[in-house]
Amino acid sequence: MTHPAGHDLDQLLAAWAQAHRLTDSDAERIRQAIVPDDLALPATWWSDLNSKVSQTIARATAMPAPAVAGWL
Amino acid sequence: MTTSRDDAAVFTAIFDRHRHAVHAYFLGRVSDPELARDLVQETFLRAWRRLSEVGPLPGGQQRAWIFTVARNLAIDSYRSGAARRAAEDALRHEATTREATVAGPHTQAELGERLARLEAAIGQLPEDQRVVLSMTAAGQLTSRQIGEALGEPAGTVRYRLSQARKQLAAALDLEEEGA
Repeated sequence: MTHPAGHDLDQLLAAWAQAHRLTDSDAERIRQAIVPDDLALPATWWSDLNSKVSQTIARATAMPAPAVAGWL
Repeated sequence: MTTSRDDAAVFTAIFDRHRHAVHAYFLGRVSDPELARDLVQETFLRAWRRLSEVGPLPGGQQRAWIFTVARNLAIDSYRSGAARRAAEDALRHEATTREATVAGPHTQAELGERLARLEAAIGQLPEDQRVVLSMTAAGQLTSRQIGEALGEPAGTVRYRLSQARKQLAAALDLEEEGA
């Protein structure tokens, strides 16, 4: 005996596929396992660092305004 | 390997583009969902390590590159013998335990029973038919795309798919168009 519905197989296969498809959470777990969280520094890291160090040194060594007034 | 956020973005785009197809391929090859996920991860890990090579490839070539890796991994997995044993165990287990998650209780039970029969019938398909069926149903690829991925003519893919559907229809007492 056969079932009359011609699309039964498509419907069953769609349900089967839905049950087996890689879920978003599984996919994200896989992606996170591959791509490291601590990615390498961006290409500009050296100039960025230099700039911050220079600014810090400049601030630390700048003569305070009262001292500048006394100096003059 | 030096990586950047740009690399991660390129990789994520590749991963999102191909993950369902690759997973469907392994599902067809090994039938064991857990092993299929492991092989997906290994495939994309290799893509990540060769990102400078695979990243710039156009869509079809990129798919072919990834599936070359996937096929080799499947072969290695078979050689280890674990895949075949796991597939057999998984098919036996899933045929008896899978339940539907849609519809009402009565319909759900009936659908669950039919899905279990479908699962068992898919497990009985020749591997080449099971792969194209899985890539079509779960991977949602066209015959042309499957052909590109597997390095086979689209006509061969369509023929295998047709044979698979006929066999499944017969196993489930369904009428298949053109049968």
